[in-house]
Amino acid sequence: MEEQQNQETHRKNWHDRHYKHLLIIPLVLLLFSLVYLGIFHSKNNDFFYKDISLTGGTSVTIYEKLNIEDLNSFLEGELSEVNLRKISDLISGEQVAIVVETTAESNEAREVLENYLGYELTEENSSFEFTGSSLSNAFYRQLIIALFVAFVFMAIVIFIIFKTPVPSGAVVLAAFADIIMTLVTVNILGIKMSSAGIISLLMLIGYSVDTDILLTNRVLRRHEGTLNEKLMGSVKTGLTMTLTSLVAVTVALLVVKSFSETLNQIFTILLIGLIFDMLNTWITNVSILKWYVERKK
Amino acid sequence: MVCGEEKMKKLSFRIWLWIVIIILALMSIFLSSNGFTLFQKGALITSVEHNSTSFEQGLRQGQIIVSINGNLINNAEDFLKYIQENFPAENDIKTTIKTKDAEVIIFSNQAPNITVSDIPKTSLKAGLDLAGGARALVQAEGKSLSSEEINDLVSITTNRFNVYGLSDVSVKPILDLSGNRFMSIEIAGATPKDLEELIENQGKFEAKIGNETVFIGGNRDISSVCRNDATCAYIETPQQSSDGNYYSTFRFSIYLSEEAAKRHADVTNKIEINSSNPEYLSEPLGLYVDDSLADTLLISKDLKGQVTTQISISGSGTGATEQDAYNDAKANMQKLQTILITGSLPYKLEIVKLDTISPLLGEDFLKYILLAGVAALIAASLIIFIRYRKIKQASFVVLISFSEVIIILGIAALIEWNLDLASIAGILATIGTGFDDQVVLLDESRNRATSSSLKERLKKAFAIIMGAYFVVLVSLLPLIWAGAGLLKGFAITTIIGISVGVFITRPAFSDILKRIEE
Repeated sequence: MEEQQNQETHRKNWHDRHYKHLLIIPLVLLLFSLVYLGIFHSKNNDFFYKDISLTGGTSVTIYEKLNIEDLNSFLEGELSEVNLRKISDLISGEQVAIVVETTAESNEAREVLENYLGYELTEENSSFEFTGSSLSNAFYRQLIIALFVAFVFMAIVIFIIFKTPVPSGAVVLAAFADIIMTLVTVNILGIKMSSAGIISLLMLIGYSVDTDILLTNRVLRRHEGTLNEKLMGSVKTGLTMTLTSLVAVTVALLVVKSFSETLNQIFTILLIGLIFDMLNTWITNVSILKWYVERKK
Repeated sequence: MVCGEEKMKKLSFRIWLWIVIIILALMSIFLSSNGFTLFQKGALITSVEHNSTSFEQGLRQGQIIVSINGNLINNAEDFLKYIQENFPAENDIKTTIKTKDAEVIIFSNQAPNITVSDIPKTSLKAGLDLAGGARALVQAEGKSLSSEEINDLVSITTNRFNVYGLSDVSVKPILDLSGNRFMSIEIAGATPKDLEELIENQGKFEAKIGNETVFIGGNRDISSVCRNDATCAYIETPQQSSDGNYYSTFRFSIYLSEEAAKRHADVTNKIEINSSNPEYLSEPLGLYVDDSLADTLLISKDLKGQVTTQISISGSGTGATEQDAYNDAKANMQKLQTILITGSLPYKLEIVKLDTISPLLGEDFLKYILLAGVAALIAASLIIFIRYRKIKQASFVVLISFSEVIIILGIAALIEWNLDLASIAGILATIGTGFDDQVVLLDESRNRATSSSLKERLKKAFAIIMGAYFVVLVSLLPLIWAGAGLLKGFAITTIIGISVGVFITRPAFSDILKRIEE
């Protein structure tokens, strides 16, 4: 018991000495992310890869066990920008359907696929989802605006809650870093973002900020205990919060992975975001806040 | 006994509110117009063709068929199997259909003109991406529509779908963040094969006397239709008829082109005056929309052989009260005007989004989502249990989260919200924030380091929770309007979810914690 306590004081001392240096880790990561995004943007004229829900095109789900390689080689040259995916049963692992994504229009895709299959695609054996490119472009622009507006609204609420600029700024910075780092990871993994992906970035704002609010609230509004005690208490609560979310998201991801691309992407992005949230709350935000409180003394 | 009463007294208002709302939510989920149907067996009638024998004998949409000629019907499949085996028959046969509350006997060699489905076990409605169906977003080609134009388009399209015999269709105008207007069309269940044509079709309207076409829709024959102008489109004061009901007559003018007016004169010239009703001609004017008869109008004898460009079209509405009769007449007038204008839709339509989703995988899908939800809940509560080592607290965390899902679903059932994938993502997001908030409450309640009372500590926890709540709330607002409303489901469900959490379940949880800690 005593040993444990000694260890704890030791750790706190270590943190007292090094918390400013710790800030270097997220700062370097954030700088790298911003540079990466800058280069990515100049290359692709966009901040991430978009799937057909944002570029326009057709997604066809055919409920049959089709050979994916065979179909792929057939479709090459027939349809533009084809992308194939299997849907399989969670328990047996057996393929139940195949998803064909293409930037072609739905009637064109239907014709080509029916040629390959040799039978008609009806609502009994297939699903079609077509989005025109003008709509998806508008869609994309608006989602980006929504994300931006949501971020600004969040920042305003944070400033209203805490009123002081530095702690509020720290929360907003942590959320910003969280989203940027997640976005870069998504790009590095080569994930094509759908509208659901952008939604999950929006969800991330909420998930990322609640631990920051907890931390800032405990440190600034509580009058009992030392700064380190308050920080430690917040870490305990906050990590439990993030950990439960993390575990829940991971388990859900495993279940839906083979089934729904939409939910798959939401959970993947949340998972990445929650990991960066730990870094940005417990290093970025804690260090800035500690610095702020120490200076005020 | 005394002890028990004391315990009852201790249940605070907030816990009672939570319990009552859960019960209401369960009722909203499981009670439908057919009562409690979770264990009901049979086949639900989803539509009955108008003017069919089945309709005349009293079969109606929403009734539940429990047996047919003594054969028990457990589900829609049983019913369809029986129909397939016995129809069409060579001679008229007697078919006794027993519904939950009545018995209908039909003599026919044809299958009853009804469609059935399995009885929904709850009043929850699955969205398109889960239950199957079709969704289309439509814009005018190369033209941005005003709000009036889009409303006209919506009523014309709705009317058209009705004329086509599709009733389970929702047509709505949508305005997105950039001010673009769309018409959204959603069709549940089976997708009509020629949906695209049906939507984009500018419409074929014909007015016929006998077999002869007098004029067709569109500005070639009908130069204009009087609407929203009291001088040429009005509804007369309702009169009481001999049977006690009220009826009201409406009149409005349409203007024919010269050519059409001439044709009208030529055709009517050949027709006799009706001997039994001498005010009118013996043949009525039939209004056909895409070759099916939508309405018939009697032609006044004064119009016989006349070249008139202005034709007064009249009809009536009835009702039990004056107001009902007036409203009925008004609705009928609008319907007719719409039909006449339908042909003259002044722009071409373009389908900018069209999804036709097969219902095939929907059930599997729901199963997986449920599994994912339960697995995630168990995993997260395991973390809570490992962290606090208190089975009581941990199980209340799970119970509260579970109740939150029930309350959200109850509200969804109440406001007839279609649960699509986006809404389910919203529910998952809610459970996530709910868990986080409860961890905050739990930690505060167990924080014995401070001298402040439990009540004060919980109050502090609520400051944090409310802060997080407002952040999520404002960050979701833009989503309601972005992207032609396709993500509204996510935004609304999450907003409902987190609000339920902050105002109902979290206060209850905090009181439960007080009880446990004390």
